[in-house]
Amino acid sequence: MGQFTQFAINGLMSGAIYALIAVGIVSVYKATKVVNFAHGYLIMFGAYFYFTFSVIVPGQSWAPDWLASWQPAWLLEMREGLPMFSPMGAVLDWVQNVPRILLGIAGALVCNAIVGRIIERTLMRPLMGQSIFAMIMVTVGLISIMSGAASIIWTADADFVPHIAPNAPIRFELFGTMIFLFGADLVNMIVALLIFAGIVLMVRYTKSGVAIRATAEDQSTAYSMGISVPKVFSRAWVLASTTGAIAGAILATRNGISPSLGLFGFSVLAIVLMGGLDSYIGVFLAAMAVGVMEALTQWRMGGDWAEIVPYVAVLLILLIRPHGLFGSKEVERI
Amino acid sequence: MKLNRRSFLATSAAATAVMGTPMILKAQPAEYVLGASLPLTGPFATAGQLVAPVFALAAKLFNDEGGVAGTPIRFVTEDSGYIPQNALANYQRALATEGDAMIGYFADSTGAMKLIAPELKGANARIMGSTSFASELANPATNPYQYLSGPTYQSQFDILLQKIKDVGGTTVAFIYSNTEFGRDPLEHGRATAERLGIKVVLEEETKAQGADIPTHVTKLAQSGAEHCILQGYVTGVWPQLIGGARQFGLPTKFYGTFWGMEKIIADRITAEAGPFLEGYEGIMPYRYFWDQADAPRYQKYAEYSKAMFAGTPLENYMSTWALQTMCGLEIAMKAFRDTAEKGLELTPDNIAETLAGISDWDTGGFFGGPVSMVNNAIGTGRVYAYDTASGLFNPTSDWFTV
Amino acid sequence: MINGNLKASYAADERVLNNTYKQTFVYGMMLALALFAGFANDYMILIACKMGILLIAVVGVNILTGYTGLVSLGHGAFVAIGAYSVTMLENGLTGIVPESLTIFVVLPLAVAITAVVGVFVGLPSLRVKGLYLAVATLAANFIVIFLIEQDAFAPWTGGVVGINTHDANILGWVLDTNREMFVLIAVVAFVSLLAAQNLIRTRVGRAFIAIRDRDYSAEILGISLLRYKLTSFALSAAYCGLAGAMFAYFYSRILPEQFELDLSLELVAALIVGGMGRTMGPVFGVMIIVMMPEVIKVFAAYFTGGDAASARYIAPLQEIAFGLLLVFFLLKEPLGINHITDRILRAANRWPFARG
Repeated sequence: MGQFTQFAINGLMSGAIYALIAVGIVSVYKATKVVNFAHGYLIMFGAYFYFTFSVIVPGQSWAPDWLASWQPAWLLEMREGLPMFSPMGAVLDWVQNVPRILLGIAGALVCNAIVGRIIERTLMRPLMGQSIFAMIMVTVGLISIMSGAASIIWTADADFVPHIAPNAPIRFELFGTMIFLFGADLVNMIVALLIFAGIVLMVRYTKSGVAIRATAEDQSTAYSMGISVPKVFSRAWVLASTTGAIAGAILATRNGISPSLGLFGFSVLAIVLMGGLDSYIGVFLAAMAVGVMEALTQWRMGGDWAEIVPYVAVLLILLIRPHGLFGSKEVERI
Repeated sequence: MKLNRRSFLATSAAATAVMGTPMILKAQPAEYVLGASLPLTGPFATAGQLVAPVFALAAKLFNDEGGVAGTPIRFVTEDSGYIPQNALANYQRALATEGDAMIGYFADSTGAMKLIAPELKGANARIMGSTSFASELANPATNPYQYLSGPTYQSQFDILLQKIKDVGGTTVAFIYSNTEFGRDPLEHGRATAERLGIKVVLEEETKAQGADIPTHVTKLAQSGAEHCILQGYVTGVWPQLIGGARQFGLPTKFYGTFWGMEKIIADRITAEAGPFLEGYEGIMPYRYFWDQADAPRYQKYAEYSKAMFAGTPLENYMSTWALQTMCGLEIAMKAFRDTAEKGLELTPDNIAETLAGISDWDTGGFFGGPVSMVNNAIGTGRVYAYDTASGLFNPTSDWFTV
Repeated sequence: MINGNLKASYAADERVLNNTYKQTFVYGMMLALALFAGFANDYMILIACKMGILLIAVVGVNILTGYTGLVSLGHGAFVAIGAYSVTMLENGLTGIVPESLTIFVVLPLAVAITAVVGVFVGLPSLRVKGLYLAVATLAANFIVIFLIEQDAFAPWTGGVVGINTHDANILGWVLDTNREMFVLIAVVAFVSLLAAQNLIRTRVGRAFIAIRDRDYSAEILGISLLRYKLTSFALSAAYCGLAGAMFAYFYSRILPEQFELDLSLELVAALIVGGMGRTMGPVFGVMIIVMMPEVIKVFAAYFTGGDAASARYIAPLQEIAFGLLLVFFLLKEPLGINHITDRILRAANRWPFARG
């Protein structure tokens, strides 16, 4: 039972990150009706930008020393005599990294937003009104372009990036089993959930959110009501790429930075279809459910089984409910 | 350059769909070719990019020494992305363009070696070394043309498990990547552990890159293993696993095999995340490059590196991975030269026979003493431990031969 | 100048090759391939074999995506099933069927098995289409590869480490060189292409096209969606199974990872580049998709002098070029190369009168 709780919590933590990734796919779909197969690669770009601004830039000779490692007097004083790997030590390590973490996140957000805009302008806008097949395949082409570009720009130097939050270990006993949690993972989960909630509220209550929903309802009507549909498109892409940047930064700290981060896009796509393409609630539930199922599979059956959990789940759901758990049914006319 | 242009012409001819034009390439007796696939991209790119320059060094060094009985040797390196089928495609392409001039090939993974092995028959056979220490390849009966430039992963596991036994360990965890390289010694390790009375409490498979570190570390924590052997990683995952375990305050002691023993990676994690790797131990078949006193060959490499790579990080240090490749090339060259000396034609069978018969060979410092090819592998190595203060791997055992 | 194709009877109009151009072209190609097999160098034979294998599979994808309008991102799985079926059957029948006859039992069986699996994978197509079908087939691809990799099946499939395959043996003729395999692959690919061309003029083919143009309208016209969608999946899978069989005979060992998503995407990309719903589309597409990385590699080697350090840019460049090619054709020439050649041929046909 204790072990079960351990892995269920682990699952919820990765589920929250799935939800954060999924929110980008759903937002773009709602606004533009494009399902972005390349969203995972947008995340990978976010991770690499975070790496660039939190590791490469502070490591340059022209960068000020405090950027790479901030060591005010009080911090050095507190570190005196602390044993290695103590929870307090982890927090202090983090404090020392705060400047470059902030720079990293800011850089990732800005650069990814620019990348998102570029993609939207060059590839997506000409696609308006094209078939679904063409849209899917353009994003598939985008996958190759982005992963090739990433391996040219950042070469191969797999490096380590600083955690966004203090990575103090949390240990407590439950049902007679020791439960181990990483502090950073908990904070990541909270950050992901807050962003998810923020976006849902934004789409529901703000003016630009209403514009997105109106465009989702009917593009030409929205156009004629004075909503600038191209603006909605680019907003949706910026939203997707910035949430992707955060997700990328989190994944980079969790899983290490590598081109394989792009593959997350496919399992999250499966999650999105399970929940229903245009339903934030459905996608959230599906993300959490898949996160927990994956962690439990990982626990009972091992890593390779966990990898196909989202795909088996989406196949089953699609056979029972073709438009996902909460997706709205498309009405077709002949 | 000349051959590049020729293959360029061949392809552009095909590209313009000029079919039926006979362009039969003949072998060039003027030079020998050794082809190679390297993981210049993909999960193990860091290693591949450090190994690639070694081929330039080797070409210069070997040809300065007279090539193979006066005939120069040329290396053709290509990228495989650590994908076996790409390595196979590279091999087939090299075979088709270089023909009989190609007398050897160097592959970059266990998977590639196993994928290419059945192709090595008849006119397509070539002598073949690799970066792999996979046990299955060290078998002249089934893989007569393939050789290892060190001890098999199985032997490395045996030594580590023996070490765990010696320090009174009772439980061990195996954490390995989902590659052939990662899985290779598992079954054997399981059997050895049972023989030694060590309980394997966890066998955890992870991705070779981008692994879900928190989950794997939690599983390690829940298993309560005292010792843990990591297998199948190069640059990523293993340092993060150790880092995660240290942050949890786990007392687990970690061990690695050859590919997890690189100073560059260990130094990098120490600089980035603190002295996590203190006490990390593992097997390394060769001397480290800084240990040059008794290694005339290393001194030679150092001399060439200084001249060829001035101003780059490669100037003063040759990575363990590069050393392994150099060792593989030295073995191949020895086989080529010995075959030529015997007055035999450089056919795959002649070379393979010479190679299998190498005995009491002074490698010039790679290993502690003279070595012999047994089952197409060199079963010699040493245990080293990492010292975070000096950033060096220091030997904790004498040279042993299995 | 040619004004048109004179046909004196309906029978003439209904032939597979319904004009003299097509006939001349087909006979010309046969001759060219025969000459190629005899005179091309090893490198060209190698590339041509890869093209041939891929071509058979793309013809299969064309039936499903090009003619029936169903999207699949999972056809790599069918190639895998074909390749593994052949290998496992060859292993299983060793000693039961004489070696020189095995291929005649194994090949049809492997193709049939793949077709049956195709029907199962096609089941979701009855309920979902477009994007949902794309993701469902993509999921199926992951699952098939996962099953092949399982240790439980390893005694038959070889598991993750792959399995050694057999050489094709046709009535005692062992095809153990690439050149001999090229003969087999070329013949099979040629026949597949003709069979696909033939399929489209039959009742089944016309039903496929009706479904592509509007599935509900087709149903109202009396075309059973259940029957024809599954037939399309089965046929298309069968072609991929055949390609898989050739794959297994061509290579000495197969690995599950060779049939992952990358292959599926490559098949669809080749179809898009070549031209969907046209017989020659797959041919053009496969040529471009196979040649492009080779050309990039050779050019790069030519300009850098084979420098190992710059070799690391080749694979990313090939990847980017692949993506750009796909995006370019989707945005600028959605009907593919076939449409370009059509225009050229039409202009040539009408020259010196109307152009374009």
